[in-house]
Amino acid sequence: MTVPLLSLIVFVPVAGAALLMFLRNDDAVRWTALGFTVLDFALSIAMLAGFDTTTHEMQFTERRPWVPALGITYALGVDGISALFVFLTALLGWICVLASWVAIDRKVKEFMISLLAMQALMLGVFCALDLFLFYVFWEAMLIPMYLIIGVWGGDGRVYAAFKFFLYTLAGSLLFLVGVIVLYFQGGETFDILALTAKDLPFQVQSWLFFAFLIAFAVKVPMVPVHTWLPDAHVQAPTAGSIILAGVLLKMGAYGFLRFSLPMLPEASVYYSTLMLALSALAIVYGGFLALAQDDLKKLVAYSSISHMGFVTMGIFALNLRGLEGGILQMFNHGVTTGALFLFVGLIYERTHTRSIADYGGLMKVAPVYTAFLALFTLSSMALPGTNSFVGELLVLSGGFAANLAVGTAAVLGALLGAAYLLGMYRKVALGPVSVRAQFKIRDVNGREITAILPLAVFVLWVGLYPKPFLDVMDASVKHLLTQVHDRESGQ
Amino acid sequence: MTATELFQSVLASLPEIVVVTGACVLLIVGQLVPKGREHFLVWASVAVVLIAALLTLMLAGEVRPAYTGMFIADRFAVFFKFVFYLATVLTFLLSRKYADIEGIGSSEYYVLLLFALSGMMILASATDLLSIYVGLELMVLCTYVLTGFLRGERRSNEAALKYVILGAASTGIFLYGVSLVYGLTGTTQLDAMAAAVSGDPLDPGLLLAVVFIVAGLVFKVGAVPFHMWVPDVYEGAPTTITAFMSVGPKAAGFAVILRVFLNPLVAASDVWVIVAVIAVVTMALGSFVALVQDNFKRVLAYSSIAHAGFAILGVVAGGQDGIASVMFYLLIYAFMNLGIFGTVIMMRNGDFSGEVIEDYAGFAKSYPGLAFLMLLFLFSLAGIPPTAGFFAKFYVLVALVEQGFVMLAVIAVLLSAVAAYFYIRIVMVIYMREPERTFEPALTPLVRATLAFTAAGTIGIGLFPAWFLGLAQRSVFGG
Repeated sequence: MTVPLLSLIVFVPVAGAALLMFLRNDDAVRWTALGFTVLDFALSIAMLAGFDTTTHEMQFTERRPWVPALGITYALGVDGISALFVFLTALLGWICVLASWVAIDRKVKEFMISLLAMQALMLGVFCALDLFLFYVFWEAMLIPMYLIIGVWGGDGRVYAAFKFFLYTLAGSLLFLVGVIVLYFQGGETFDILALTAKDLPFQVQSWLFFAFLIAFAVKVPMVPVHTWLPDAHVQAPTAGSIILAGVLLKMGAYGFLRFSLPMLPEASVYYSTLMLALSALAIVYGGFLALAQDDLKKLVAYSSISHMGFVTMGIFALNLRGLEGGILQMFNHGVTTGALFLFVGLIYERTHTRSIADYGGLMKVAPVYTAFLALFTLSSMALPGTNSFVGELLVLSGGFAANLAVGTAAVLGALLGAAYLLGMYRKVALGPVSVRAQFKIRDVNGREITAILPLAVFVLWVGLYPKPFLDVMDASVKHLLTQVHDRESGQ
Repeated sequence: MTATELFQSVLASLPEIVVVTGACVLLIVGQLVPKGREHFLVWASVAVVLIAALLTLMLAGEVRPAYTGMFIADRFAVFFKFVFYLATVLTFLLSRKYADIEGIGSSEYYVLLLFALSGMMILASATDLLSIYVGLELMVLCTYVLTGFLRGERRSNEAALKYVILGAASTGIFLYGVSLVYGLTGTTQLDAMAAAVSGDPLDPGLLLAVVFIVAGLVFKVGAVPFHMWVPDVYEGAPTTITAFMSVGPKAAGFAVILRVFLNPLVAASDVWVIVAVIAVVTMALGSFVALVQDNFKRVLAYSSIAHAGFAILGVVAGGQDGIASVMFYLLIYAFMNLGIFGTVIMMRNGDFSGEVIEDYAGFAKSYPGLAFLMLLFLFSLAGIPPTAGFFAKFYVLVALVEQGFVMLAVIAVLLSAVAAYFYIRIVMVIYMREPERTFEPALTPLVRATLAFTAAGTIGIGLFPAWFLGLAQRSVFGG
């Protein structure tokens, strides 16, 4: 009997959370949480090490009946698309624990339990091969995330938590109805692979496409259903922001990749122009909004909207470069924006202000911090040599191939990105030391560098040698494309 | 009726007979129990219910029609009877301390609950409009009295009076419908009714009769437009009785509704259109009005209205899955609702009523474990996985979509998003506010046991629904 690796990956955090319930000492809680997240990370590396990049088939699959009467199974598996995100989630897991080490000083145990529960559910979403199981993971995430924002957040946390909860809930409930319709249309099964193989009538595909779109668009988020994001990000504690930006937003895009494209190929092609237009709108609009922010966290939050626009654009370009670029950008955005939120959190812990105007000349006070910040800022604006450059270049070339106007808009968005990111960096790091910053800001310590360093490694690794990452997804993406185009042109 | 038939009938109704006899005995014994020894009554009542449950289980093997077609002991009835036993026993356990605090722990309290239980059991087994009537009256008469049990309190008296007047009116309407049916078909037996009608099932007279019967039954489950009594009665009644009513009699009402509505005669009369409208309006009203309530019991009252609306959707869907989904829903609802009521009942201690939502501010800080249970029950009521409440809703939606009611399913999920707001608002008060007081929940071992049991059900059915789902599916009548 083989080891159920994916089940282990998903349920190790649950075991950790269960253990935490019996601990009383805050430090013991922190170390235990760290231990379990690191263990989970190690397991995810083991998964990647055993991953076969030559096939698009699901790997490490597990299948057990769950509710046989309704055709629901407990089925897990990863392919080239989900494997990357399992890894990313496991990576950000322990970084989140480190980021919360001192930032969370009350109800530490409850926080870590929520964090671990959250991680288990996110991993479950990426591993699930049963639509019902997927939905359970997807929806259950609302509970810990609601608590993370609402209990440990900033001053406006209650409002932000409500907004996050209700937006996502309303979106995903329609998705649920879509799932049930799909269940009956697809021959009473929730098996994702079986459903993928079904050809549905175009009319049905259209309805389902929009039912899914609402759920996924809220999570991505796409303009105009993005308004929960700035509130949630600004109010969430640092670890919450990292999870939100790093993993949660990816789930919407993952939903497109896993469900909309392969299950509803004709509708996806038919509505791709609409999706491209919405993506371009998000890129430009998010960029302009970011340009106008004074709050560091808000700036990064709006830049997320803009960057996720690149992701959806790549996906709905529906060509190889676009898709690979989009998926790579999902990974990159998780690393880079996760890091940027971490940086905002680090400086906020020291000064308790997030206003850009309060900062200046940080380079003289905290040189290590600003050096790393420079790296991630440049990565966020897609400078060659960093990870986002590879991703955005692929997306842009895919986007131009799909639609000239949309591609042009995206380039404008990239320019805006350079403007607000460089502007932010100039004001915060360069120039004379501001009055506020003189309050002895201490530079990053060992624990913080431990959290930052792996992210920095990935920025450069993907930037300079992206091949391993593209190799992982290549077979699966090509297979996805044949699924979309063969069936679409076969009609 | 021959002697054998009589014997068979008595056998089929043995659980009911045990409960009624037990209640009568306790009524007499209760007078002899010395003061301060009332807890004996709790255990005696629980024992009566457990004996009845055991008998029900032993008799569950086969379908037993009884009393010349008035009564039937089938799997459908057995399923509902177990929901009633669950509700009643947990109410007994929760009542022990609460009754002391409120000073209502007399023997009548337990005896009336047992009588109400017997009424519900008759309802679940009734296959004749008249036996339905008998069960209905037995049940509601007891709940009228129990509602007014807080004799010294105005709210309780007012609630009881309102309940009696409205309840009597609705019973009258129901009886009028029954008389019309009898006039048109010459029978009151559910099975014989359909056979007796040879002409158009849409005969206006028959339609009128059906509408009256529907109105009478819908009152009992608290659906719009016959919901007015629910908030006042739920708020005024002793909280243990509210908990009981929101689960037991409501499930009994659904048992009858399923038997009557899915009768071929009624099903042919397009009454489902009315029922669908009732379901949607009920959900909408329950969800929206609950948004502005400050009183915990009133929120739960409106929440129970909204849940009734959702369950009625299963009736609209009909078919095997539709019926099974309603039954499954009610079972799960019993767990989660008794759970949340258990926490409210536990808070009633000293001069703290535990009825105002704001009073729970910061509860999580003082009692993280209990707060987590409340969170569990509330999220389950809101229908968030992995709790059982999600699966209950999911199965109703499956039944709806299976029958092609996709629009109804969409409306239902949108309204449950609205309803989610007031549940998570309570979670917010518990978790995200600073405590303003110290809490002294009346945590007796019995209350602990009840909470543990309901929590286990809420999370257990959510994670492993297969067995319970199969149970509901096998218990569908005619299946």
